[in-house]
Amino acid sequence: MVSLLRNQKVRNTLLQVLYVGSIAALVLAGIVIARRNLAEQGITSGFNFLFKSTGWDVNFSLLPATANDPYWWYFLIGIINTLFLGSVGLMLATIVGTIVGLARTSSNDLARLLGRTYVDIFRNIPLILQVFFWYAIITHLPTPRGAHEAWGFLLTSRGLYIPFPNVSNAAFAAATLAVVAAIVLPTWLGRTSRLSQPIGQRRAIQFTAAAAALVCAAISLAVGRLPDLPLLDFPALQGLNLRGGLRIPPEFATLAIAIAIYGGSYIAEIVRGGFKSVGKGQVEAALSLGLSPWRVFTLVRLPLALRAMLPILANQYVWLMKATTMGIAVGFTDFFMIVALTINHSGQTLEAIGILMAGFLAINLSLAAVFNRINKAIALKGNQLRG
Amino acid sequence: MISGNSTEPGGPALRIENLDKYYGTFHALRRVNLAVERGERIVVCGPSGSGKSTMIRCINRLEQHNGGRIAVLGTELNDDVGNIDEIRREVGMVFQHFNLFPHMTVLENCMLSPMIVRKQPRAQAEATARRYLEKVRIPEQAMKYPGQLSGGQQQRVAIARALCMQPQIMLFDEPTSALDPEMVSEVLDVMVTLASEGMTMICVTHEMGFARRVADRVIFMDSGEIVEEAPPETFFTTPRNERTRQFLSQVLDH
Repeated sequence: MVSLLRNQKVRNTLLQVLYVGSIAALVLAGIVIARRNLAEQGITSGFNFLFKSTGWDVNFSLLPATANDPYWWYFLIGIINTLFLGSVGLMLATIVGTIVGLARTSSNDLARLLGRTYVDIFRNIPLILQVFFWYAIITHLPTPRGAHEAWGFLLTSRGLYIPFPNVSNAAFAAATLAVVAAIVLPTWLGRTSRLSQPIGQRRAIQFTAAAAALVCAAISLAVGRLPDLPLLDFPALQGLNLRGGLRIPPEFATLAIAIAIYGGSYIAEIVRGGFKSVGKGQVEAALSLGLSPWRVFTLVRLPLALRAMLPILANQYVWLMKATTMGIAVGFTDFFMIVALTINHSGQTLEAIGILMAGFLAINLSLAAVFNRINKAIALKGNQLRG
Repeated sequence: MISGNSTEPGGPALRIENLDKYYGTFHALRRVNLAVERGERIVVCGPSGSGKSTMIRCINRLEQHNGGRIAVLGTELNDDVGNIDEIRREVGMVFQHFNLFPHMTVLENCMLSPMIVRKQPRAQAEATARRYLEKVRIPEQAMKYPGQLSGGQQQRVAIARALCMQPQIMLFDEPTSALDPEMVSEVLDVMVTLASEGMTMICVTHEMGFARRVADRVIFMDSGEIVEEAPPETFFTTPRNERTRQFLSQVLDH
């Protein structure tokens, strides 16, 4: 018996069994206790509430929503709102982060100082304070009557109004997809056919793909155009309120700005680190081959920096996705706020939180999976010597 | 095949006059004078910190000199970006740490600059690249990535990459210093071949055997100055300067 316990394999198996057993016991006990407590309070557990109508409204939705809609539909709205806010926020944060990060690596003293100040300020103030700060600024903008106006854009305390094409929703969605394709396709083509055609030919292919996608966008806008209306709908004052155009609600704008500015400060550091990791030797080799500084940047520094940045960037994106839950601080109906409202109204706390966790897990695991794939595809092959 | 336009075909390959270089207050090069004819093979040696690398890095503007003149193939090296570009197109460089582009295959490493700087069509760039990979004896590694090669192989790729630009001058900055001992000779062999074909070469190296075999002139530097300059026979047998003698006794007595 003693000798059996001294066997390494037996020991490891025993430890595993103990470990799994205690976790299973904990989970089981939790379930039993929760069921008993719920029964005592007269709450029926289960997911039947998903099909009941909510009886309350959401203030922001990309899908049609009324108080008669069931809970599952509201959860869907919440997830889509979170994804929408997340993607807008991540995109803006990436743009801000790239600009600030490049400023921090620049040879210009003033640019470096500005970049550093930016990072120091926005990285060290808690996100929730920044959310409240931007919300206060936006809600203190003038009323529609005294709106700040520039090129048809109106800035008011009721949100940002922008000119919007008079087209059907489906046509607008199709056009948006086509524009995204116009950006993604040339990049993808540039990668898969890298150096397999002469530069000129490769450019032509990329250009054709982008042009084709843009033509598709134009066609869908033309087809889906609403009859008897101008192509662009400009917001204008009617009575006390603004009509026309697209209104970006203050809550959404607040969160998008806060995530962009706060996330941007973190991404700036990732961008800076990425560029710092590129060996000086590779840059010197490229220069000694006669490549211009711009070519050295696009062909050597950027591709190598991106590879160093991507894993950390993926981490940051997952983190920022979770930061969308700040919606509840300003009343934006993201996934988290919908779950919170659901708990208040239906009392199905455990189920709703379960759905919340499953939803965020699904979003962030897919995000991580996509980044892992990209990462693997572009990883440097072989051993890397740091020169 | 030779394409620099304002480079005079007849003149010297390189002329350095009263070259001064400072790093802050540190005087790295002190009024260095050097002239290199076309086809000449120069070996530069000296203790570390003597300014050998700094000098050859000034020749293609990886370092900016603070005083004196450098003219490469008749083109004055100054703040004129056009001149710098022209000189870099005609001067190839091989580094101690190879500095290959790790995200490109060996072939792409060799084709990049000819396609972008010389605007060669792909087929021509590839043919040139394969020819030079053959020359450095690693044609079979063309589709591999630098990280998958040994140090000696990487350095030979680096030489091929520089040759693909069909430069008129090759600079070698301690090309074998980072290599495992058994890989030194494969790189030196390639350099010997190159020298025998008449390439103008300036090599910073501690390989005294190589210097003896191929150099037309050996230059000894110490404290940012050229202390001794002589053909290898004279340099190794009857060095004039005390510092040279001391250095040679340190590197040769093993």
